[in-house]
Amino acid sequence: MQKINKNVVLALLSLTSLVFLLFQLYYYKFYLSQKNGAVFSKVRGSQSGQDSTRWHVVRKFLGLISSHNIPVYLIDPLILRLVDKDIEQIRSSPDGPSPECKYFCAPRDFTTFALLDKTWKHEVGLFRTAEKMGFQWLKIVNKDPRLDGMDDLSGTEIPLHYIFKLASHAIHLVVFYERSGNYLWHGPLRLKQHMDRKFVPFRKLHFGRHPGAYEKPELLHVSIDDLKVQIPKNPSSFLEEMSHSRFLECRYKEARAFFQLYPDDASLDAVEFRKKAKSLLHLAALTLNNLGVKFWLSSGTCLGWYRQCNVIPHSKDVDLGVFIRDYKADIIPAFQKAGLPLKHKFGKVDDSLELSFQGEDDVKLDIFFFYEEDDHMWNGGTQAKSGKKFKYLFPKFTLCWTEFVELKVHVPCETLQYVEANYGPDWKVPVKMWDWKSSPSNVQYNGVWPVEEWDDVIQIY
Amino acid sequence: MDEWKPNPAIKPHKKRSWYLAWKYKLMNQRALRKLCQTGAVLFLLVTVIVNIKLILDTRRAAYEEEEESAQDYDDEMLNVEVPRHPVNNKKVLDVEVYSSRSKVYVAVDGTTVLEDEAREQGRGIHVIVLNQATGHVMAKRVFDTYSPHEDEAMVLFLNMVARGRILIFTVKDEGSFHLKDTAKNVLKSLGSQVAPFLSWRDMWTFVGKKGGEVYGEKHAKSPALSTWGDPVLLKTEVHLTSVEDAECHWPDTELTRRRKRFCSKVEGYGSVCSCKDPTPIEFNPDPLKDNKVFDVPVAVIAGNRPNYLYRMLRSLLSAQGVNPQMITVFIDGYYEEPMDVVELFGLSGIQHTPISIKNARVSQHYKASLTATFNLFPDAKFAVVLEEDLDISVDFFSFLSQSIHLLEEDESLYCISAWNDQGYEHTAEDPSLLYRVETMPGLGWVLRKNLYKDELEPKWPTPEKLWDWDMWMRMPEQRKGRECIIPDISRSYHFGIVGLNMNGYFHEAYFKKHKFNTVPNVQLKNVESLRKDAYETEILRLLGEAEVLDHSKNPCEDSFVPDTEGRVYVMFIRMEQEADFTTWTQLAKCLHIWDLDVRGNHKGLWRLFRKKNHFLVVGVPASPYSSKKPLSVTPIYMEPPAKEEGAVA
Repeated sequence: MQKINKNVVLALLSLTSLVFLLFQLYYYKFYLSQKNGAVFSKVRGSQSGQDSTRWHVVRKFLGLISSHNIPVYLIDPLILRLVDKDIEQIRSSPDGPSPECKYFCAPRDFTTFALLDKTWKHEVGLFRTAEKMGFQWLKIVNKDPRLDGMDDLSGTEIPLHYIFKLASHAIHLVVFYERSGNYLWHGPLRLKQHMDRKFVPFRKLHFGRHPGAYEKPELLHVSIDDLKVQIPKNPSSFLEEMSHSRFLECRYKEARAFFQLYPDDASLDAVEFRKKAKSLLHLAALTLNNLGVKFWLSSGTCLGWYRQCNVIPHSKDVDLGVFIRDYKADIIPAFQKAGLPLKHKFGKVDDSLELSFQGEDDVKLDIFFFYEEDDHMWNGGTQAKSGKKFKYLFPKFTLCWTEFVELKVHVPCETLQYVEANYGPDWKVPVKMWDWKSSPSNVQYNGVWPVEEWDDVIQIY
Repeated sequence: MDEWKPNPAIKPHKKRSWYLAWKYKLMNQRALRKLCQTGAVLFLLVTVIVNIKLILDTRRAAYEEEEESAQDYDDEMLNVEVPRHPVNNKKVLDVEVYSSRSKVYVAVDGTTVLEDEAREQGRGIHVIVLNQATGHVMAKRVFDTYSPHEDEAMVLFLNMVARGRILIFTVKDEGSFHLKDTAKNVLKSLGSQVAPFLSWRDMWTFVGKKGGEVYGEKHAKSPALSTWGDPVLLKTEVHLTSVEDAECHWPDTELTRRRKRFCSKVEGYGSVCSCKDPTPIEFNPDPLKDNKVFDVPVAVIAGNRPNYLYRMLRSLLSAQGVNPQMITVFIDGYYEEPMDVVELFGLSGIQHTPISIKNARVSQHYKASLTATFNLFPDAKFAVVLEEDLDISVDFFSFLSQSIHLLEEDESLYCISAWNDQGYEHTAEDPSLLYRVETMPGLGWVLRKNLYKDELEPKWPTPEKLWDWDMWMRMPEQRKGRECIIPDISRSYHFGIVGLNMNGYFHEAYFKKHKFNTVPNVQLKNVESLRKDAYETEILRLLGEAEVLDHSKNPCEDSFVPDTEGRVYVMFIRMEQEADFTTWTQLAKCLHIWDLDVRGNHKGLWRLFRKKNHFLVVGVPASPYSSKKPLSVTPIYMEPPAKEEGAVA
């Protein structure tokens, strides 16, 4: 009885395992039949035997684009990281044959290239040739952000991403557009409803989760793994740029709605102030960028960007934020050299630092330095006559790029929280009378400077 | 025998030993078996677990994949394509056509494609063209054949419609008064029985296929001069043909695909859609050597005049040195047909949601277009601004390429324009000659980016100000004393006769006889002399050389200028101060040039040609050139007519 029982159990178990084995085979077949080993291989983590596939696909792709005279450059972060380590050697022998396949043979799903939109137009022929060569391709188009603005324009959608797939490898071609403010922009990758979501494992792409902004890179012709490609001249700075490249578009739709409610001030004074504020911002950006000091639009200037995509005409100054860790002693002389004398300096590097520079005709440039705590950030304020200190608290934020008055500048990515912290929930309503000591909703009284420090922490010129 | 008896003592022993061995074996085996069994069970269990895990993993991966793409990479906007016309696979269309004094309508398969019951509007013959395969409306026109010449336009239009198309006619109010025999014969040739006898205030509807069958016709005669015919309603059926029959068999190329798309949607563009010998839509004019404007963006400002746009783009794309990639057409409104024209030529088009009304709408459209142009081409220092009702000269880009450096270098310049306001057939002569003028002519011009970005854009008139953008740009607050460079012979031609500020009479009087350069590759002469100071030297030299005309004669008479060629003449008119244009306006009037406001002046000096002689007019004493006037000469004064006349453009 017992024996029979055991046999039955044994047989049952064998049967079950057989069923599972069949299941496994079925799954394997299912994924193979999709010509898409990605999902499966991701689970298994084994991709042996793909090494040369990648190299061949890249070579074919480079052949394809060079036959159409399309200048692309390599922006694949994984390869650039490897290249960066050997950059000296690669630079010194740009045509030297490589002894081994070092860069293009690491098994990956993708290799990423960039394309400058204005260097290329005729795509029909390219796709035809690509198909002949065995590539499957996918084109992702979307709205042209350069038409976004206060005017309601709509044009032909523009290509943002191309994916060329051959065998188990895919080439991701990111289209970069030049935009006002002398920078390059690439769009997000968004699939439309009818698109094949399984074409490639999209979420593994290095570009496309967000739109991004980049400087125009200098390019270098190199030969790596016997493939001639162009790469950014300085791969490490490109990689650094890539890690904070996220771009936010101004909220033009909301801005239009704002101006419906509160018509824009079109007076000559407003026009003049905007013009001055714009040129002051351009000058400040140039100066700080030259010093390598990262800054963002803060306070009223940030509100202007977020709420109305323009300078608020009654704001009377330009406000920038800088992390105190990026503070440099050269900032003051650099601004003076640029024609912006120091107007006042409050606080010190350790505490509540704030600099003000005098721009053209009463337009003032305020630089607030931000101090980071465990769970928040803050900047300080000082009342000159009483030596009172104030603290403005902000939730933690990161920086994103945006375009403002034809300038590529940073803003807090979490702009709404930032603006709400500063201006409260009614930030959408314009306020002409603003008291920096009491109006902000995030202000805290922070004691008084000791009188003996006044000469140092309250400097007015 | 006993011996053979089994020994019980041994037997048990033997038995026991066997049993023991067996037992031992058995025990051993059982342990082994147990071990095996347990091992097998464990192994199988592990396999099962691993398998389950594998399946779950795979499932999850696949699911996440979907989830991921759904969340991160999904387009939030649904791109729902709205078909232009309900797609029907039916082979028969029901057509209803109504004609009456105050209302016309046409319904195709229950969808109203034309309805006009506005008072004082839409008089005449309404024509609708349907695609014979799809039933889509391809063109809609109304010809006011109560008025003269409209019947000619109708004949022209009907001749352009391709064979096989379905034509629908209906009369509103009156359509026969100026319907001449030619037009009646064309209608007759389409199969109409009534058209030749259509008379005063008759109502008439007709549906037929061009070059084929007649689907129906109804007519109601007007009983008396003072009354209209009874309303007529024609209901008929139209049999659709197959798509293949409705299309031409052009070779399959990228160009053809564009053409096919266009021709299946719209009608009235003549031989573009001709099956046998279609007119080209790609022109490949000669490139320009050393083209300095190859990378300058070209903004074409358009409204809803697709036929004009078609003509304009043809001439633009035929101009030497054109770079189609830099051309953007900005359409004021969501009109389909202009966009179809843009796509036919493979150009990029942008539609703009209209803001405000009338002049302010045009002005806002200009602003949006210029802003977008500089956004799309952030590298550009200039933009060429064109309008949809201009012909572009073959050497337009050559003209700009030779002069654009001035706009970059000379701060005293406001623009370069292809248009000379005073360049009529009888007053312009030299294609290589350029002028500096204080008025901004527009009509094909180049705008400097920093002028736009720093000065014009920030204070551009807001929508509630109903200003003309060009008038605004001419205001001293904007122009700030700067001048424009213009050619003697215009590089653009204004052909539009319908428009916001335009009508046939006005066009005939002021634009029709404008001179337009048709000579390719004109080498401009002495371009450097157009710089601020050099130009003064040049003017003084000209005045020094000029012969003073006989001021006792009437300047309006032809004999005022001697019958010579190639000479330089000067006359002096009275001009008390800078803004005194009394005499100039009278002179302009009698010379049949632009007299609606002052154009083409430079410091109280006008330059034009008369009888092929260069003819200078100096306003004394306001002009700084008055010093060139001989003492003996009295400046001519011309009295304005007593009663105020003349409209404002």
